[in-house]
Amino acid sequence: MVGLTLPPFVLSRAVDDGLEPGHAGELAGWCVVLLGVGVVNAWLAIMRHRTMTRVRLDAAFRTAQVVVAHATRLGAALPRRVEAGEVVTIGFGDAAVMANTLTITGPGVGAVVAYAVVAVFLLSVSWLLAVVVLLGVPLFALSVGPLLGRLQGVQMAYREQQGGLAARFGDIVGGLRVLGGLGGKQVYAERYRRDSQALQAQGYRVAAVTSWIGALGVGLPMLFLAVVTWLAARMAAQGAITVGELVAVYGYVAVLVVPVSFFVEGGSDLSRGLVAARRLLSFLALEPYAADPMAGADAPGPPSVLRDPVSGVEVAPGKLTALVSARPSQAAAVIDRLGRFTDTAATWGAVRLDSIALEQVRDRILVADSEAELFAGTLREVVAGRRERSKEALSWAVRAAMADDITLGLRDGLDSPVDAQGRNLSGGQRQRIRLVRALLADPEVLLATEPTSALDAHTEAAVAARLRAVREGRTTVVTSTSPLLLDQADVVYYLVDGEVVAAGSHQELLQGQPGYRRLVSRGAEGETDPDGPGQETRQAVR
Amino acid sequence: MTAGSQQAAGQLPIAEPSHLRRAALELICRDARAFAGLIALNALAVGAGLAGPWLLGRIIDAVKAGGGATAVDRFTLAIVGCAAVQLVLTRYARLVGDRFGERTSARVRERFVDRVLALPVSVVERAGTGDVTTRGSTDVASVAVTLRDIGPDVLIAVVQALFILGAVFALDPLFGACAVVGLSGIYFAGRWYLRRARRAYLAEGAANSVLAELMATTASGARTIEAFGLQQRRISACQAAIERCRRTRMRTLFLRSVLLPSVDVSYVIPVVGVLLIGGVLHDHGAMSLGGVVASAMYLRQLSAPLDTILQRLEQLQSSSASFARVEGLGHAPQAPQAPQAPAGTDCAPADDRIELTGVRYAYDGGGDVLHGIDLSVKEGERLAIVGPSGAGKSTLSRLLAGIDAPRTGTVTVGGAPIRDLGPDLLRRQVVLITQEHHVFLGTVRDNLLIAAQTATDTELHAALAAVGAEWPDELPDGLDTELGAAGQRLDGSQAQQLALARVVLADPHTLILDEATALLDPSTARHTERALAAVLKGRTVIAIAHRLHTAHDADRIAVMEGGRITEHGTHDDLVTSDGAYAALWRSWHGERPS
Repeated sequence: MVGLTLPPFVLSRAVDDGLEPGHAGELAGWCVVLLGVGVVNAWLAIMRHRTMTRVRLDAAFRTAQVVVAHATRLGAALPRRVEAGEVVTIGFGDAAVMANTLTITGPGVGAVVAYAVVAVFLLSVSWLLAVVVLLGVPLFALSVGPLLGRLQGVQMAYREQQGGLAARFGDIVGGLRVLGGLGGKQVYAERYRRDSQALQAQGYRVAAVTSWIGALGVGLPMLFLAVVTWLAARMAAQGAITVGELVAVYGYVAVLVVPVSFFVEGGSDLSRGLVAARRLLSFLALEPYAADPMAGADAPGPPSVLRDPVSGVEVAPGKLTALVSARPSQAAAVIDRLGRFTDTAATWGAVRLDSIALEQVRDRILVADSEAELFAGTLREVVAGRRERSKEALSWAVRAAMADDITLGLRDGLDSPVDAQGRNLSGGQRQRIRLVRALLADPEVLLATEPTSALDAHTEAAVAARLRAVREGRTTVVTSTSPLLLDQADVVYYLVDGEVVAAGSHQELLQGQPGYRRLVSRGAEGETDPDGPGQETRQAVR
Repeated sequence: MTAGSQQAAGQLPIAEPSHLRRAALELICRDARAFAGLIALNALAVGAGLAGPWLLGRIIDAVKAGGGATAVDRFTLAIVGCAAVQLVLTRYARLVGDRFGERTSARVRERFVDRVLALPVSVVERAGTGDVTTRGSTDVASVAVTLRDIGPDVLIAVVQALFILGAVFALDPLFGACAVVGLSGIYFAGRWYLRRARRAYLAEGAANSVLAELMATTASGARTIEAFGLQQRRISACQAAIERCRRTRMRTLFLRSVLLPSVDVSYVIPVVGVLLIGGVLHDHGAMSLGGVVASAMYLRQLSAPLDTILQRLEQLQSSSASFARVEGLGHAPQAPQAPQAPAGTDCAPADDRIELTGVRYAYDGGGDVLHGIDLSVKEGERLAIVGPSGAGKSTLSRLLAGIDAPRTGTVTVGGAPIRDLGPDLLRRQVVLITQEHHVFLGTVRDNLLIAAQTATDTELHAALAAVGAEWPDELPDGLDTELGAAGQRLDGSQAQQLALARVVLADPHTLILDEATALLDPSTARHTERALAAVLKGRTVIAIAHRLHTAHDADRIAVMEGGRITEHGTHDDLVTSDGAYAALWRSWHGERPS
């Protein structure tokens, strides 16, 4: 920015030494200098831009990394507190705004130095002019301050409404199929329009403030320039300064427009940056869910029983246990407690689960949700977990989950791309891919909710048998109401209102628990005789 | 639906530059008065600003002529006045500009949403909702910023630059010519840049989308990440996405690194030219010293608006790429509109009978996944379609629901092709229910009224009761309870019940259930099926059955394998014939082969 102060000086010399007295040689000489200064300034400007762009990118990407890292650290606690869209806004939009603010620093220092250099030049011309400039510029810059405060207020409201409108749009896109099949498009278009108009009205309020800030940014320096020119012109008229110096004074003050409008714009950038930074900080201040973050006890040795005192479920090591509940959410709650994804009084061996270091729990107990996220990547990446697994382990897991047809059907097999949320797969394919991931992780304890709910009966029967075989000797818990899967279990717990009312093998419960039988073999018996013996129905069908 | 068959093809279109210009022009024309006011105010503001150097020239001439303090005072007072006028004019020019921008961006986004709503479901599904979402959020926002901030800035700068050039020409045409020649370098540098910039900025936008989606899924899948210990994998995926972003940004930075210095140097050339020519002219007395100085000052002032234009060019480029993506939706295929002809003509179904004749279907470029399906479903019949994954059941259900059209063959309801029915006509005929359901932001009532806008509360309660949903009565505000992130969250089965209640309200004569009850509580599923059976008595139900009890309850069962119907008949027929269905039925009972 200091370089900007040179051309007015050179220009004034060209006028005084060359143009006015008519010395062609001097004029040509100063013109060459002017050209040279221009080239140097161009070089400086692009180097500045490159540096600033790099700084900006670096800051934005670092912020993005921090946000992603924090999101992964928050884990299960995150979706309960922040919407996914909000995380993107923070990690992407806010990061860019903040990065932009950062680049104020370099030019900011430059602006201060340029300002000082101009002052020194002016001192050599006239102390009066120098004092006026030195005091006037900061005064003008400060006068915009109160407006910036108001700007921050209206902008915050604007941002919130903008977020609301974006959510409204996401809602429409997410429900497009419903709107397409059932109607209601007009209603939703109307709602969006209403919110859009409200945002427009808020935009008008922002404009009322920003237009003043913008106008003052341009207008105040101009006014100031006019005043300084007036002083200088009077001096020139009185012969106190030369015409060339008058030109130079005019040029310097015109150059000062750059640092001054920079201060003004920088202020508005800074206010936006602060809003963004505050949102980022409040996101980063979120703490992962943990009943006792200091918990650091060691987990018990491998053959340990997992107990959930709330429901009365006891998971025997090395066995396949099934939880049956008329309400899947109640069985899933047991899984959440056994897997320590919520407040839990569960014990593992003789130790309370929530007193064990979380890392050990996650390492040895795996909770596989039926609707667990599938991340974009190749199929191979999608099923990858905590540890690297061998090729053999992978093909073994694929076979166990009856997923061979998926890998064979894809053009590049395991290297075929899968979209985020497995959007390019069917529901049944997604479920089997989730199962591959869970089996590949090969945890000591696997807790799976409804692992076969989206599979057709044929596939489900095969998966159930293979699941039992591959988990032989390891602890597995599934929630399900499908007889195909329950028949494979060593122990089945029948839960009513979240508590165990009966335990035993599938066949035992079928015979001893009419409620259980109704629940799992619905449709298998005639509706007229819900309590009739299952065996007979089967005989009849056969 | 076979995975991988939908990739690459089916992406949403991007508008061509020529179309983009027309669209921009049209937006301006729709708000022509504001736009004219914007130009006029800016022109006045710039005019007031330009008085400065000219008055300075007059001052210099006055000083040279020994005019004394009074002459100087008069001119400088004029400069102060002009500056004040400029300030006020600039404020109103900006206000008008900002409001114009707000209004226009509201128009752009509202039209975009209208277009999204007009898209056929299959187009959106194939392109992925991510693309539509990015366009509707990031791209629409980027266009808004352009309209609000960048557009007016550039406009002001263009007006300024033209006025300044005009002023130089007015002082001396020779100076003006000198300026134009000196600045011509900018034109060449600009052309070089613009030719490459569009692609580079599109690539930058694509890389941004990848990063944004990665963040979104990392956030929504945070629980899965914790359970499977995927932290490190997510972080490295993020790093890879960032690396891609960085590469595309470096490419655009390179383009600017060529453009900007060439332009900066170009600014100095006219000033030097004017000084040299001015020196000669001044020597010969053909030009006053004030005139030369004023011209040089004007040309130095030219750099400010041109800088603004070039600085904003970058944003203008990237947002014109955004605008191209937003406007591109105008070229996407539209859902069939409701037939214009009055009811009773060929378009309207004659009765409720559904016929499939010789239906073949292939996903883009792939082989057929349905191989000549013939099927006829009578009014009020309950048909179950069973078969292993990948047999083509879901594809068939999409054809039946009019989401996709068959490659060859016909799918008709009452003699009219289902695919050609407008949405209003279609939803009274056939409704597809799938595992995926969506709870809309808004109240329970809002969620239900989608299907029947004039329904009374009694009808809404009745529909909820029909699907066995008792939970809405337990909500704090009943039907007025807000659902969604900020309000009441529904679990999977509640969301499914809500979706089914909507269908009850829509009241179609044919219902296609695709794994519809998979997420229901087993106890309520039973309840819901009974309730639905009662509500839809006398209506056609085509169930894509994963659970065999659904098949058992049906009037007729079609077994699909490898895109063909291999068995066909009542439950008892199929069990007796001892084919694939009979084997499945036995395994459902947990009977192991002896």
